[in-house]
Amino acid sequence: MSAIDVDLAVNGFITGLFYALMAIGLSLIFGILKIVNFAHGEFYMVGAYAYTLVALAFGVPVWVALPIAFLVGALVGWATERTLMRPLYAGYTSWGLMRDEYAVIVTFGLSLFLINLVDKVIGPYAYRGPPLVETSRVVLGPVLISGHRLLAAGIAIAVILVTAALIKWSFWGQQIRAVSQNRLGASLAGIDTAKASAIVFMLSGGLAAFAGALLSPVINASPDVGIFPAVKSYIIVVLGGMGSVPGAIVASLLLGVIESFGAVYLSYQYRDAFGLILLMLFLLFRPQGLFGEKGREV
Amino acid sequence: MTQASPAPAAGAQLTTTKTTVEFRAALVAMAIVALIPLGVSNPYWLGVLIVSMYFAILAGGWNLLAGYAGQFSLAPATFAMIGAYTTGLLGTYYNVPPLLGIAAAIVVSGLVGLVLGRAVLRLVGPYLALTTLSFAEIMRLVASNTIDITRGDLGLGVAGLPIGRLAWYYLFLAVLVVLLILFYLLLRSKAGLFLQAIRDDEVAARRAGVDVVFWKTAAFTLSAAASGLAGALYAHFAELVTPELGLIAQTGLILSMAVIGGMGTLAGPLVAAFLVYVLSEWLRDVGGYQLVVFAALVVIFARFFREGLWGLAKAAVRRWRQA
Repeated sequence: MSAIDVDLAVNGFITGLFYALMAIGLSLIFGILKIVNFAHGEFYMVGAYAYTLVALAFGVPVWVALPIAFLVGALVGWATERTLMRPLYAGYTSWGLMRDEYAVIVTFGLSLFLINLVDKVIGPYAYRGPPLVETSRVVLGPVLISGHRLLAAGIAIAVILVTAALIKWSFWGQQIRAVSQNRLGASLAGIDTAKASAIVFMLSGGLAAFAGALLSPVINASPDVGIFPAVKSYIIVVLGGMGSVPGAIVASLLLGVIESFGAVYLSYQYRDAFGLILLMLFLLFRPQGLFGEKGREV
Repeated sequence: MTQASPAPAAGAQLTTTKTTVEFRAALVAMAIVALIPLGVSNPYWLGVLIVSMYFAILAGGWNLLAGYAGQFSLAPATFAMIGAYTTGLLGTYYNVPPLLGIAAAIVVSGLVGLVLGRAVLRLVGPYLALTTLSFAEIMRLVASNTIDITRGDLGLGVAGLPIGRLAWYYLFLAVLVVLLILFYLLLRSKAGLFLQAIRDDEVAARRAGVDVVFWKTAAFTLSAAASGLAGALYAHFAELVTPELGLIAQTGLILSMAVIGGMGTLAGPLVAAFLVYVLSEWLRDVGGYQLVVFAALVVIFARFFREGLWGLAKAAVRRWRQA
């Protein structure tokens, strides 16, 4: 392994950490409602703007702006769940639309709405978020990395570990997993499934917004900034297995590294296509992903 | 999902009548569209209406697949792009005349639809949406990155037709009406029932003897061919093809037309295509809020008025008759 390869691997791994922040939430939402949230990228976008604007316009220190971004994302996630997701599991009677179609339409519509609303209200300009530290480069052996990216990677690792631990061991985490396994069974056992769904959306919105905030000094906040991270997280949840949190984390790191090497050794122009091709191949031939259970009907 | 469906015989009767009413309403709407040039001669607004008809074909084709057969593809704009590039590339490199190019576009996009339809046969709901979305993005990336052949994002110049704007108007309208009649004949026949049976309950449809594989693939192929035809016509009208034809935002516009008009109705998406596109041109002039408005409308209609404008109109007529 040459020095360049080590550099590529480390940088791909770090990119994968940011992907994981997005993909965990998407996977949790799939687990609990069995839908794909096509507005997930806009949670990211909201976080990038919240962090950047709060820090730039009001002069709030970055260490305060970061949790604010998380809270704003959680709020948007909560509002989405309350207004649009409830019909997916409450009062489901006469339908002009089927369940899956409804989910695709409203989340897709919400995505277009938020992108264009921000475009009109804040403007189509890109804003660069302030970095957490000003150190421009840190040299670790063969690896060259900016101080912000290194620090952000550390924070991302901490957040991912805390989230995984919460889902695994906390009271609400256990309830969420119970609802994911069997909504009816969980509600019969006394679990408030509506509350579990709301918590999942708040957590997912917050995590995606946090990713947007952490990356805003590198990828400037703009109305459509969330599209690419969202597409990446779709690929990841398919690779990792829909609804599987460990699968999402492993697949995120894998995709980060694959893209990092692919862009250099295969084709730079098509670097964004590798993941999409993987997604299609997986859905067609191994829909349960690397870790998930069955994904398609026979 | 479906509740208390009526007996099969009554159901068949009901659907036939429903489709016929919608067909008549759509014909009336098309007749009005045919009369518009008598009062409007402004080439800009004629152009807007021509593009509306382009979208009406796309929304109608997508509605056949998503609204009637329940196959929620997110790639309708991609098939328009494939059709447009087919005739564009054939004309540029082999001097194929436009009419032959358009015919080739129908065949090529139909074939691609057939292959995609076969590939995704067993995928449902979110999996189908994700696969078709990736297909759409890959195709767009290919179109904008094979610069040697397609000139990438610069766009490929396409030969025009030696006809005026008014002739274009009636050409698009004629194609739209022919497709409308074809869709009507298809939906009125047993095929229409087969498609809706697959949408409502695939397993039950198969048990009842519906050839699910054949009809799902057929819906994909037909929908793709119609989109390809629209794209090829549009290419010769605009005299330019760019990868932007296949943008996800274009699919969003098509989807919003079908949802606002009423999915699974013959007339709704066609009429809504005109309303949405003309309104969007007007909103563009007064501040550019068109996409905000339509995205909000899509969410509101999906959440509260699932049968779309057609459903609202039907309810209004019923109330008026009772009063």
